[in-house]
Amino acid sequence: MIEDFYELEPYQLNKEEKAEMLTKELLELTKRHREKCQEYDMFLKAIGFNENDVKAPQDIPFFPVRAFKDVDLLSIPREEVFKTMTSSGTTGQRVSKIFVDKETAMIQQKVLVKILSDYWGKKRLPMLVIDSKETVRNRQQFTARGAAIMGLQIVARDIVYALNDDMSLNVEAVKEFLEKYSGQRFIIFGFTFIVWQHFYNAILDINYDIDLDISSYDLSEAFLMTGGGWKKLVSESISQNEFKKRIEEAFGIKHFLDHYAMVEQTGCIYAECECGHLHASNYSDVFIRDPKDFSIKGIGEKGIIQTVSVLPHSYPGHSLLTEDEGIILGEDDCPCGRKGKYIQILGRLKSAELRGCSDTYADKLSRR
Amino acid sequence: MQINYLVGKTEYLENASKTPALPVFSDKAVGFLAELSKELLAIPGIRNHTDVMSYAYWIRKASLEQAKKEVVREGINRLGRGVAFHIAPSNVPVNFAVSMTSSLLAGNISIVRVSNKEFEEVDIICSAMNRVLDKPQFTEMKQYICIIRYEHSDEITEYLSSICDIRIIWGGNNTIEQIRKAPLPPRAIEMCFADRHSVAVIKTNEYLKYVSENEGNVSEIAKKFYTDTYYSDQNACSSPRIVVWLDDKNDSDFEKAKDIFWNSLEKEVSERYELQPIQAVDKYSMLTELSMKKDGIKLSKNDNSLFIIDVDKLSDDLMDYKMSGGYFFQYRTSSLDDIIPIMGKMCQTVAVFGLDKQAVVDYVNDKGVRGVDRVVDIGDTMGLEFTWDGFQMIEQMSRIIYIYRG
Repeated sequence: MIEDFYELEPYQLNKEEKAEMLTKELLELTKRHREKCQEYDMFLKAIGFNENDVKAPQDIPFFPVRAFKDVDLLSIPREEVFKTMTSSGTTGQRVSKIFVDKETAMIQQKVLVKILSDYWGKKRLPMLVIDSKETVRNRQQFTARGAAIMGLQIVARDIVYALNDDMSLNVEAVKEFLEKYSGQRFIIFGFTFIVWQHFYNAILDINYDIDLDISSYDLSEAFLMTGGGWKKLVSESISQNEFKKRIEEAFGIKHFLDHYAMVEQTGCIYAECECGHLHASNYSDVFIRDPKDFSIKGIGEKGIIQTVSVLPHSYPGHSLLTEDEGIILGEDDCPCGRKGKYIQILGRLKSAELRGCSDTYADKLSRR
Repeated sequence: MQINYLVGKTEYLENASKTPALPVFSDKAVGFLAELSKELLAIPGIRNHTDVMSYAYWIRKASLEQAKKEVVREGINRLGRGVAFHIAPSNVPVNFAVSMTSSLLAGNISIVRVSNKEFEEVDIICSAMNRVLDKPQFTEMKQYICIIRYEHSDEITEYLSSICDIRIIWGGNNTIEQIRKAPLPPRAIEMCFADRHSVAVIKTNEYLKYVSENEGNVSEIAKKFYTDTYYSDQNACSSPRIVVWLDDKNDSDFEKAKDIFWNSLEKEVSERYELQPIQAVDKYSMLTELSMKKDGIKLSKNDNSLFIIDVDKLSDDLMDYKMSGGYFFQYRTSSLDDIIPIMGKMCQTVAVFGLDKQAVVDYVNDKGVRGVDRVVDIGDTMGLEFTWDGFQMIEQMSRIIYIYRG
């Protein structure tokens, strides 16, 4: 039961304890989804899954994330859908659709609060969102960005959107926020590229002619929480370290909290500790799979990321094969003191360069 | 307009509509191609480029003379249609030359747009062509060939379409749709080579007979099937996507035959094929989608280079769930009748083992099946031929001047 997890600190379990709890919970979820989601059951049959073979969390079959683009997958009656989260995901025009009921939505928020409070304390903090209100306006259809912002609302208070609908800086709103909370602990949240482009650059570029003297405010207690990956910035030759360095220099921000998350497993994010490592909490785990045969790779070895999570109750998303590459850096031994695995994300898998005369690949991805 | 010439120059292109068409299999064209064959075969290390080699063999003098006998008929006058505009596919490097060859032998001025993707094979062939064209005896051929590259440009495509008499589009369905937006002159014709799929059919008892005759050494068939499939990432139109076993329902024979077949293929694959990580995800994702939409799907695999997907019935949309890079459906039946659903318009080649090819053709005829343009032995799907996708290429690209003889 998920309740058993709530009684623990989010990074309390060591390897053996965690494996035992996860195996039990994930197997329960597999059975539940198999019973309630016909497509998932058909998938398990096709790959010849046998529940009796499950001895460890990695024995739970992994489901490819693309499956959520192909088919509507629900383990609940449709009328119990509380919200639908969408993600443009990796390639092509088709979007992933994740159907969340009230129970799963509640679990997601609760777990997110527990994870984040391990970093900045239990108090709800003011939050400056580096995005526009438009991103969260449609509550029925959330994008990954919208979902991330909405998810954080529960851990935050006095939420201010720093950008106008056209993504220009709302100078007055930002000024007002900073004047109020300068020197205090608060959250600045945004996707990396948006923070860089529409906040950092907008404030520093004199061409924008913005009347905002950022150095007059004290941001040393603020947490800059980022998400969405680094690919876009790295392609502009801004590494993660460079990003932090430049932002610390310009804004005086000292606390950085990047995270890895996916809309298919909202809530149990992989948050960055003081040592710069992304951590799996009790609620989730990561396995690195060898592309050659999907066997498990060891610590320090690169491969395809599989994530498991005990949160998804309303759709079969508790064990997923992502399209990202990554490495497990270590387990139970991060100097920050948190137990569990800590990982590095290397980015999306490269798209295939194939011979042959057809463009079925592109056709397929745009097919409805 | 920014057009880059790998062979030829602007002047030839601008004068193309006034350049005289040639008769089919003209001495000029045959002579040029035969010389090109020699030139290519003389390149040191050319054996490392199997596809360039096969092309060079295909256009050697003797091979062209043979083809000429089949095309040129006493009393029938065939002449090129005029200007042929070819759009070559992006992923089969040698295809541009294959398309050009039919077009030159048909007697056309051939303008071939090759993909912007750089391929060593394209450079090898184009520079050999330039060396041959620089020989004094081939000066006259120069005006018949332009191999060009240009960035995607509707303007250029429209221009070239407006001066052509025949347009040949190789590519996926998206490419064809895109190019077709450019109108053709009223008399011009078009040949499109769209996305297709292919099928392998093996007679179980014949395969086992082969196994025992060869004392279990089946690597030759495995190598042939590898060439049919993995050699082009199983992404060519002619690559089989399914293996159909024809037998009289002797279970132990079937189990034995398929084990031997796939194990020998797997050995070949493990030695030769390099799977890209995303392909593993692509294959797994496609299998998942299929399994969620159809009953009776069963995956077998050891590693990710070879996915074997048993299906218990064939439906006409099964091929919507095909994938490249070593992803095979497997189906067993005692009658060809059961495979009709996958022999629709999209079906190009049937590759057989232990089965009479004529019998397959008779079957297609008899049932009036919409697909199946070609029946070959396993190992021959990649063969270069002057008949493709149901077209006699040279005949189609030329015209007949008819004499009424009363």
